[in-house]
Amino acid sequence: MISIRNISKSFNGHKVLDGVGIDIEDGEVVALIGPSGTGKSTFLRSINLLEHPDTGELEIDGKTYDLANASKDETLEIRRSTAMVFQQFNLLRNRTALQNVMEGLTVVKRLPKNQAQDRALRELRNVGLEAWADHYPQHLSGGQQQRVAIARALSMDPRLLLLDEPTSALDPERVNEVQRTIAEAAEAGNTMLLVSHEMGFVRSIASRVIFLEGGKIVEQGTPEEIFGNPHTDRLRDFLSSFERYGTNHPGADASRNASWRTQEALREEHEREDLALEAV
Amino acid sequence: MPDLFNGKLVFTQIPQLLRYLPVTLELTVAAGVIGLLLGFVIALIRVKRTPVLYQISTVYISVLRGTPIIVQLYISYFGIPIFLKYLNYWNGTNWDINSVPPVLFAILALAFNQSAFMAEVIRAAITAVDPGQLEAARSLGMSASQVRRRVILPQAGVIALPGLMNSLIGLIKGTSLAFVCAVVDMTAAGQIMAGSSYRYFEMYCSLAIIYWVITLLLERVGAWLERRLSVPEQAPALRQVAQTEPEQAQPAQTAPARGSVRRLPALNTPGIATLAGTVAKEVVARD
Repeated sequence: MISIRNISKSFNGHKVLDGVGIDIEDGEVVALIGPSGTGKSTFLRSINLLEHPDTGELEIDGKTYDLANASKDETLEIRRSTAMVFQQFNLLRNRTALQNVMEGLTVVKRLPKNQAQDRALRELRNVGLEAWADHYPQHLSGGQQQRVAIARALSMDPRLLLLDEPTSALDPERVNEVQRTIAEAAEAGNTMLLVSHEMGFVRSIASRVIFLEGGKIVEQGTPEEIFGNPHTDRLRDFLSSFERYGTNHPGADASRNASWRTQEALREEHEREDLALEAV
Repeated sequence: MPDLFNGKLVFTQIPQLLRYLPVTLELTVAAGVIGLLLGFVIALIRVKRTPVLYQISTVYISVLRGTPIIVQLYISYFGIPIFLKYLNYWNGTNWDINSVPPVLFAILALAFNQSAFMAEVIRAAITAVDPGQLEAARSLGMSASQVRRRVILPQAGVIALPGLMNSLIGLIKGTSLAFVCAVVDMTAAGQIMAGSSYRYFEMYCSLAIIYWVITLLLERVGAWLERRLSVPEQAPALRQVAQTEPEQAQPAQTAPARGSVRRLPALNTPGIATLAGTVAKEVVARD
């Protein structure tokens, strides 16, 4: 189990996070939702100390770290047991996809090169990009880069995978492939903390959803509770801004059926498209 | 026709001049290496804004870039002996100032001058590395020195290369002023030779050709290095990959190029089905 406790952070006197804490069970996928500027990313970045919180504790497998006063060694330890997927992918641009995934294995985990390469290729295969191993980030689409970034993060066997709006920087037609990769990582049992504005995705992947606003947890619960039966006005207001996505439709079954129909319709449409393309 | 210009001499005297090329190269390499190392340290001070040293570096760069190299050479040639004499006086030592080879004064002056220019090039290159690259490396658990070695240096190096080459080319031509420190480099040797033959114009033409050829070579080396170090423009061919094993059928086997929804694999688990459905719906809503 991973416990994150009492994280606070102020920027220039403005309190972005005010004592936020979550417990995450192994294999759980926790999603953080909330309006922009409400501290979701700061919370994530405070956990692996890319941001230095004013207060906060992290407990991983019984070992507790004081996030506000972590030593250099503790910082490295924390970062080695968590992994981060960034909104902007942040693949090292002077390294190929394979080298990017190998980097942490050889430099941080100090695996011999051939072992690191085998592991990296396996991770790339899992995200469907083994064939792209020798490509540099600039040769890959945004979605492919993000999948390599996910492979890189998973190669480190993190206790907690942090995903900071992993699909926000993608072209709409690339969102799907990345979401599927993340869903597969979740199915594989990875413990995740996800920040996302894609409510449909959050609903389908999260085991628990946390609504953060004004630096505090306002409401939390299962996706069904949060999307189907929001208790607070603030959550209702927030969700209503996504209404056109149809994601806070009350009643999970109805929406499940609806999505099935939509998918069938999409398939048919694409089959027609394919036929049309072949005809040309 | 009067013998005003001896075109042949321009080329025939080049071998004689080249006997002094090692002096020019020695000045260049020594001043270049010292300048690069010193410039790197100064650049780090400027990036980190180390107190006191930062302010000193600001003045240092401003003065060295703001005064002519020939003046700096004179100051080095006359100033360092005076400084050493004071040291003798203060410490009661008795070093022989005259035993210091003059080439050292020239090298020091050129190196300090180079360091100021290179520091600015390197500083700009370091700050030009995308912070996201550093965060990615840090989030993997790399130590600060690993991040410096594996991410900042290689990336900043590529960015700095053209500027450093520029600086180096400036240095090579700067060595032609080393005569003011009583160093007989290629240019000084040429002037001495021309002094006896009175073929000054031909001599300067020969020198121009030599310096230009050296610069041409350096430009080629720079371009080659840049090509070597930067990411190839062309994407490589895809690797031939064996089909994935059955358990791994679910991951996308090929990157969907366009309209990725159509390549959804057959869905048989309810969990994934819901997910895919929601995702598909979202795509629809977006369209």
